[in-house]
Amino acid sequence: MISVSTTQRRTWIPFATVFLAMVLLVIPAPELIRGFLPDWVSLVLIYWALALPTRMKVSLAWVAGLAVDLLTLGIPGAHALSKAVLVYLVKILALRVRAYPLWQQSVVVMLLLGLEVLVFAIVDIVTEGGLGVLHRWTAVIVGGLAWPLIYLVLRRSRHLANLSR
Amino acid sequence: MVKRGGGGLVRGLGPYLLLSAALIAAYLHLTPVRTVMHSAAVIGIPIHFLASLPSTVLNAMQGHLTTADQLRKEFEAIRQRNLILQTRLHRFEFLENENARLRTLLSATPSEAEQVTLAALLAVNPDPSALTVLIDKGSADGVFQGQPVVDSGGLIGQVTKPGLFRSKVSLITQEDQAVPAQVARSGLRAVTYGGGPNRPLRVLYLDRNADIRAGDLLVTSGLGGRYPPGYPVARITGVERNLAEAFMTIAAEPASHLGRDREVLLLWLPDEDTSSHEKEIEIQADDD
Repeated sequence: MISVSTTQRRTWIPFATVFLAMVLLVIPAPELIRGFLPDWVSLVLIYWALALPTRMKVSLAWVAGLAVDLLTLGIPGAHALSKAVLVYLVKILALRVRAYPLWQQSVVVMLLLGLEVLVFAIVDIVTEGGLGVLHRWTAVIVGGLAWPLIYLVLRRSRHLANLSR
Repeated sequence: MVKRGGGGLVRGLGPYLLLSAALIAAYLHLTPVRTVMHSAAVIGIPIHFLASLPSTVLNAMQGHLTTADQLRKEFEAIRQRNLILQTRLHRFEFLENENARLRTLLSATPSEAEQVTLAALLAVNPDPSALTVLIDKGSADGVFQGQPVVDSGGLIGQVTKPGLFRSKVSLITQEDQAVPAQVARSGLRAVTYGGGPNRPLRVLYLDRNADIRAGDLLVTSGLGGRYPPGYPVARITGVERNLAEAFMTIAAEPASHLGRDREVLLLWLPDEDTSSHEKEIEIQADDD
């Protein structure tokens, strides 16, 4: 890769945003709004896979997912699996989706988050034989609606980090 | 545009699918892996710390910003409450003595007090359907699988995943949680079942003419040996007698301040020999 930028790259910034998303994920929220809060980690990972499809690695997403699993004392591997699938797909679709207007990106994000719910459903069926994930649909829709905000904030952080590709 | 064929999928995603599947399988079937995973959760400590900062700071600020007048009022209220509780406690002590005396008369095992430890609520599970909370005590503090957890209102649930320094508590509102209880007023035995997120608890399989009504308090019965007897579980909110069905439809709401209190109590049951007595009763109860 030929780098012509004279300013220094701050590769730690994307990692910091993922870390922040994890903090946001475990903040105790009132029961009323808990069902509507999207999975911030997924949204942040989607952004970085979209903005830097060559640099974002599926392995990084897998590790981030595993961290979420450990953080919430969930079944280790569930979030790791879903996040890896998510980032893999976004990496493939990145060039096309990046050209979409923001609202269309929101729709794609909703579909991706919905896919993640499906992955959780499969894990649930395999591990417990029950379906406990149907309450997550509201969070999927809210996640899609929150996408423009996430996009703008993270684009700002990407410019700060001097990462253009 | 098309750069990846089927090979791309296998190479790009395959290893991670396999790795995840292996991890899930190992976690489900191998106890050592489970222990390692629960211990590995210590990496979450800084994140949980950061996540709890806003509320900690807010609480601290609230402490600084309250005026002397407010403090005086609050102090007065607490003093009055303390007085009332003291009086009740005297009565309670009297009753406890009487109870012990009657128990010796009946030559039954005296009921022992449970040991308790205070734990702080760290986080509520981001997945609302999970109905679990994290607390800041783990197996390093002696927390064990199935340990009962209560708060000032009553029973919260039980520890389902003891980590090294933090544990996951499943609430009694979870659909797979059942609590052996009895009606405090009549002594009628019942079992409460979790109803799921934002749904009331259910009391199933009670006869149409069973003595239970709205407003009744359900306390743990101690049967089954998991929960110690006498802790409030739920208050009955609605009883529906349907002539077409053999059993009543009963809804109840948890007595504990689920998710409202920041502090919870972990209970250690007294030694096994007292619960063996209860297990006998349980076996008898199972027979009929």
